[in-house]
Amino acid sequence: MKFHPSLSKPGFLTLVAGLAVGALALSSLPANAASDPGVTDTEIVLGMQLPQSGPASPGYNKVDDAMRAYFDYVNSKGGVNGRMIRLEVKDDAYKAGLTVSTASSLINKEKVFAFVGSVGTQTHISVIKDINRRGIPDIFVNSGYSGFYTDPKKYPNSFGDLGTYVVEAKILGKYLKETYGDKKIGILYQTDDFGRNAVAGFATAGLKFTPKETAATFIAGTQGSLGLVSQMSQLKAAGVEVVIIAAVSSASAVAISTAAKIGYAPKKWAIISVGADATTIQGLLYAGGVPFATSAAMLTGVISASHAPAAGDSSDEFVTAFKKINDDFNKGPSKAWDNNVLQGMNTAYLTTEALFGVGKNLTRKALVSYLETKGSSLSSAALVPLGYSKATHEAYTGFWVGAYDASTVLKPVGTDRVVYTTDSGSGPVTVSTYKRPAMPVDALPKGA
Amino acid sequence: MFKYKRTGIRNLAIALIFTVAIIALGAILDPYNQGQLAVVSMLFIGVLSVTLLTGTSGQISLGQGALMAVGGYASALTILNLGLSIWFALVMAIIVSALAGLLLGFAAARLTGPYLAGTTLVLALALPSLAIRFESVLGGDVGLNVDFGNPPAWLVSAFGEIGYEQWQLYATVPLTCLALLATANILSSRTGRMWRAIRDHESAASLMGINVSNNKIFTFVVSSGFAGLSGALYGLRGIVGPSVYPISLSLLLLTGAILGGLRSIAGALIGSALVVFLPDLIEWATRPLALSEQIGNYLPGLIGGVLLHLTVILNPGGIAHALHRHKNK
Repeated sequence: MKFHPSLSKPGFLTLVAGLAVGALALSSLPANAASDPGVTDTEIVLGMQLPQSGPASPGYNKVDDAMRAYFDYVNSKGGVNGRMIRLEVKDDAYKAGLTVSTASSLINKEKVFAFVGSVGTQTHISVIKDINRRGIPDIFVNSGYSGFYTDPKKYPNSFGDLGTYVVEAKILGKYLKETYGDKKIGILYQTDDFGRNAVAGFATAGLKFTPKETAATFIAGTQGSLGLVSQMSQLKAAGVEVVIIAAVSSASAVAISTAAKIGYAPKKWAIISVGADATTIQGLLYAGGVPFATSAAMLTGVISASHAPAAGDSSDEFVTAFKKINDDFNKGPSKAWDNNVLQGMNTAYLTTEALFGVGKNLTRKALVSYLETKGSSLSSAALVPLGYSKATHEAYTGFWVGAYDASTVLKPVGTDRVVYTTDSGSGPVTVSTYKRPAMPVDALPKGA
Repeated sequence: MFKYKRTGIRNLAIALIFTVAIIALGAILDPYNQGQLAVVSMLFIGVLSVTLLTGTSGQISLGQGALMAVGGYASALTILNLGLSIWFALVMAIIVSALAGLLLGFAAARLTGPYLAGTTLVLALALPSLAIRFESVLGGDVGLNVDFGNPPAWLVSAFGEIGYEQWQLYATVPLTCLALLATANILSSRTGRMWRAIRDHESAASLMGINVSNNKIFTFVVSSGFAGLSGALYGLRGIVGPSVYPISLSLLLLTGAILGGLRSIAGALIGSALVVFLPDLIEWATRPLALSEQIGNYLPGLIGGVLLHLTVILNPGGIAHALHRHKNK
């Protein structure tokens, strides 16, 4: 092969010119008449990023389809003040380097009015500062990391969509300590803010763990390749009787199946809600050769918590209505009803309610100010109110503790469903007195 | 003597023309493509590191992404802990990653072919564990928040409103220009010829009096410095962390280098542009088909892989080589 070390070839200039033409051809410039991007008289464009592919995607990749299904339902009823909602979704495969590019694409190419329901803690960290300094609303973020929400001066436009991991861990921890105080309790957590926030919450509840003994850790995303064998063996060797999991659903599935393989049968499993989606766990176990009947038996009795009714609670009016909308409107590849679909539907429901609430004169500033002042009176399927105020943008302020029954429906641990509430700090855990308002007849909220 | 001088001036002129062309392009593109062009400029430096290491001296590295991470962390720590500006941080990134390259070079000088590839691959795989192990310093899984900041006032007063993406591009391009100039000069110098001699036949090169292992180490140092600079710039887009420099980034650089042409600078530029714009191009081309996300999300990887195979089988010299051959017919 002949080698041409220098840049002397005129080809290089042709190349630069070619690059220019190519890049120009790629650029598209849709112009908007309204003052804020993404809003016209007939349309509202919303953006979302989540892992649709890659190891972190199972389960969460259904949230966007569920949201789009609900928005399509709203559009079929005439939209919000005559504006149709369009949801633009980008796959970031849970790689933060990619999230920066997909966010730029949503902002600059799709010209979204707001980000809504973005999934993932690590990935959202890479773009949250940029989204906020551009003044773009970043609402109902599907991450329980409290650092995004507790200081609105830092991220004035970001609002949560999950109870924070600290709140959930405090409530779950209180229950576990009261019920299994005489047993050896251990934890498996992913070493990111999700896992650490949960550990901090358990510590507040009085549950402390010893590293390398009762606390096993792994790097998020490695659960599939590494199989969590050393982690589960560590907990087994330490004689842990109650295993808490603070990790994504795909890791919970691996942990449960690995424990079975190495002959480790803890008395109790307790899983933080975002990692406890039964459908996702069963689907992954099935892919690994575990029949549904067996995995259902494995999940029976597993403790978790929720801020919303259980997806399998067919007596709940929201669950029934969302399920119907999902059947009629969801065009996603996997629309099987589960917690992820419920969460997506509810996020879209809240978004619609807020958009109606702001009214005809929809601007980015108006939306953010509306959520700060009226957000806490927005109602949805959740059994606790949103905690939004000028002082904090934390979402759900409470949880109820349940256990899966034989048909993997989360049922309250006591005879009645008791919803507890607390803060992300060191405040006490108390019983919530909130009464959820009834759902509008057509499942179409018109704002608080 | 006169000839060398002329080569140097010509290289300088072309690097400057490249810079002006990219800046002009940045002024007319929309913000999204400005951002993409900034990524091209950043990865171009990374691909040049592969051009030098693999294309010129024949050493295969599957861990350039890890060296990018070294640069990224070095710059982020400089900014966050020492409070210095991003320019100092970038210099620091080059120095620290070059030192890392020196260590790696000592091992590399004793290894060849698949053994070297394996060693560098391990480096890339070990990165997340290192970030966790030294979490208090490196920020663990979440990483360290850094960015280019806002465009300086003098630039805004000179050119008017400058967007965030545009500023990313303008901050990157001068450095890309320097990297381009340095590579061109190395390749047309005695050093470049020695590296090529080693690549083509180690024993023959040694017989001609070239110190093979010293030169191999030196190649690693230079190439790592390039990778570190590229990684620091890439991290300044928002965050330095393990999920920014996954193993796939190392493979992306190699893919870019091979598709464009492993042995030429023009090839490195073509390759960088290709790996960055290919997903956009595929999305644009398949938009009318309304593919499901389950297909659409995997198409760039699939097509990139097919192109890589076709290049290796049909056109091992890459696009740059093919263009040149075509012109000389």
